[in-house]
Amino acid sequence: MNEAQFAHRVRQRLEAGAPLDARVLAQLRAAREQALARHRPEAADEMALAGGALGRLGGVRPVLLRVVLPAAILGIAFAATYVWQKQQRAAEIEELDALLLSSDLPIDAYLDQGFAAWLKRRASQ
Amino acid sequence: MAQAARLAIALVAALLLAAPAGAARDQDRRWAQLSTEHQAILAPLRAEWDRLEPAQRIKWIGVAKRYPKFTPIGQQRVQTRMKKWVKLTPEQRKQARENYRRISKVPPEKRGDLRQQWDEYQSLPPRKKPAPAK
Repeated sequence: MNEAQFAHRVRQRLEAGAPLDARVLAQLRAAREQALARHRPEAADEMALAGGALGRLGGVRPVLLRVVLPAAILGIAFAATYVWQKQQRAAEIEELDALLLSSDLPIDAYLDQGFAAWLKRRASQ
Repeated sequence: MAQAARLAIALVAALLLAAPAGAARDQDRRWAQLSTEHQAILAPLRAEWDRLEPAQRIKWIGVAKRYPKFTPIGQQRVQTRMKKWVKLTPEQRKQARENYRRISKVPPEKRGDLRQQWDEYQSLPPRKKPAPAK
């Protein structure tokens, strides 16, 4: 007979109004109170935890997780892209200026409005 | 919530400030703070240096770093042209870079000697020169 079966039989006896002497009744009451006392704090803790978790899920945290955090990540990503692009452009200009200034042609040739087109047309002839 | 927002703003700000930190030192560099090697290379800009835009300073320090890799004739060209280059307006420099790109796209075997082409173009009577390209 396992514990559950034993408990079932005890319950049946008690419900049938089994005659119990005062000593047994007192022992049962003490055991019950002891069990309840031991059980309550845990239950209370569990309730508190559940409440806290619910509070977190249903309160401030979801706003943080679903709005502020992604927005911050997006902001950082945009900022990083902007800085990176700016540096890329600056590096491109630096390279271009170095090539232009050391090239065969004088600056005036590059400032001339028609020379590039003239050269292009000539090359295609 | 407000704390999180502050944290996010602080992170973005830190990133914006920290990312170009390496360049920040160059952009604030005054003439006296340049290395003697860079001073020698950028000597034609000496008078203008402290008035240059931060971005220009960064660029010229970059050019000075590339300078040793140029051919002697290239080095000489850079030095003789840099003074004129900084005096151009930003629009003129932009236009010149654009023309440099266009000229570079013409295959070398087709464009021939650029210097010679330029001399020939300059000797053309004005009406034979094409209208400015779009």
